[in-house]
Amino acid sequence: MTTAALDPSQIAAHVMALLTGVAPDIDPAAVAPDRDLRDQFDFDSMDTLHFATAISSEFGIEVAEKEYARLASLKKACDFVQEKLRTRG
Amino acid sequence: MNRIDFRMPALGADMESGTLTQWLKKPGERIRRGEALAVVETTKGLIDIESFDAGVVEELLALPGATVAVGAVLARIASESPGATAAPAADATARGRAEPPSAAAPAAGPISIAPTPGAAAAPAPASRPRVSPAARHRAGELGIDLATVKGSGPGGLVRLEDIEPLAKAAAGPAPRVDMRAAIGAAMARSKREIPHYYLAHPIDFGAARDWLARFNASVLVAERLLDAVLIVKAVALAAAQIEGFNGYFRDGKFERSTAVNVGTAIALRGGGLVAPALLDADHKDLKTLMREFSDLVTRVRTGHMRSGEVTSATITLTSLGAEAVDALYPIINPPQVAIIGAGAVAERPWVSDGQLAIRPLMTLTLAADHRVTDGRAGSRFLHRIADLLTQPEKL
Repeated sequence: MTTAALDPSQIAAHVMALLTGVAPDIDPAAVAPDRDLRDQFDFDSMDTLHFATAISSEFGIEVAEKEYARLASLKKACDFVQEKLRTRG
Repeated sequence: MNRIDFRMPALGADMESGTLTQWLKKPGERIRRGEALAVVETTKGLIDIESFDAGVVEELLALPGATVAVGAVLARIASESPGATAAPAADATARGRAEPPSAAAPAAGPISIAPTPGAAAAPAPASRPRVSPAARHRAGELGIDLATVKGSGPGGLVRLEDIEPLAKAAAGPAPRVDMRAAIGAAMARSKREIPHYYLAHPIDFGAARDWLARFNASVLVAERLLDAVLIVKAVALAAAQIEGFNGYFRDGKFERSTAVNVGTAIALRGGGLVAPALLDADHKDLKTLMREFSDLVTRVRTGHMRSGEVTSATITLTSLGAEAVDALYPIINPPQVAIIGAGAVAERPWVSDGQLAIRPLMTLTLAADHRVTDGRAGSRFLHRIADLLTQPEKL
């Protein structure tokens, strides 16, 4: 996909879609953007890996293992993607 | 050509019946060995029931919505394999190894099946609704019974747009009350019947963690491994090497399994857990195990477990996750005879070669059946797992 021109709301929509794609058993309406996914939905290491994989593939960005903590909530994940896209230029 | 019975399998030690929710084939269609023929709802969720035999589906004997006893005939298949058996696929049995758990003797023949109260009166297979291929595929993915869908197309044709609105409901969480009751019953039975003994062994997980970090830095995100996969492989290899921990205790004796199928406890969001097996884990490389584990977790959480992986675990591994406690003391899943617990990896003081250091430690625990082994054997088993995890490059 073309990601260069995405605004924050578009990124948020994409990230939300990726989240519910890797965890289809969660209710999208129940996602609190600031809450830790582990606390809210019992996200485990497999969920995090699937989420990181989806984000890396969708936006064409690298997600190092040590950066997994930056995907801990929906908001953090959106901020992480924005930052990566910005620094990539 | 043999005419064989396709029966409701026992998908857990305490399962007495299951509810047929969907047929995935109709009479006259071919079915491959290992291909799913029916979807059954149990306290573990929706499970795809696979056929052990290849052939042609002759007749379907139960209607979606019916509650069917374990062992009762669900369908008949004209099998192409000589000497075919009637049981749905259960891998350990299929390979002439230890048999999977069975809660009841198979019924002698077909049964009279009444739909459960409140279930929609499903049409007989001969009058099944007309369904577009895309809608059938999507309904199959979601485990939706097509007989309950009202078609909006010409002549009542069920189209994809009739299925999608049902997707959210189908993906909703399964009732957890039944699962909690089932877990309670199975664990109470285990503690009542099995004389457990418990051992704990802290290990330095540094070598495994460092190897994993190096490996994961060298591959794409999608190809990364989780530490759980290393532990699965180490448990599988140790179980194959140390006698008395891999198999079943039945009819007063231990039945060793030559296949090592590692049940992996997977938590479900909202509560409950299941422990389907990674089959032949001792013979698979880490990449293959990771791929299968990833697929298994995804299917478990979307209600698509397969009967073979539900019934065939010969030993179980459980972990509470990276943020959990140092050690857990699990309960054996009968008729298995051992379960391994892996605690969280945490920085702790550790003495090695007379030097005090801060190391990433993980405590392995073992609950094992005293009717089969004792603490000495258990100690050897845990030490063997620990040795394997200190040489991750050899896993």
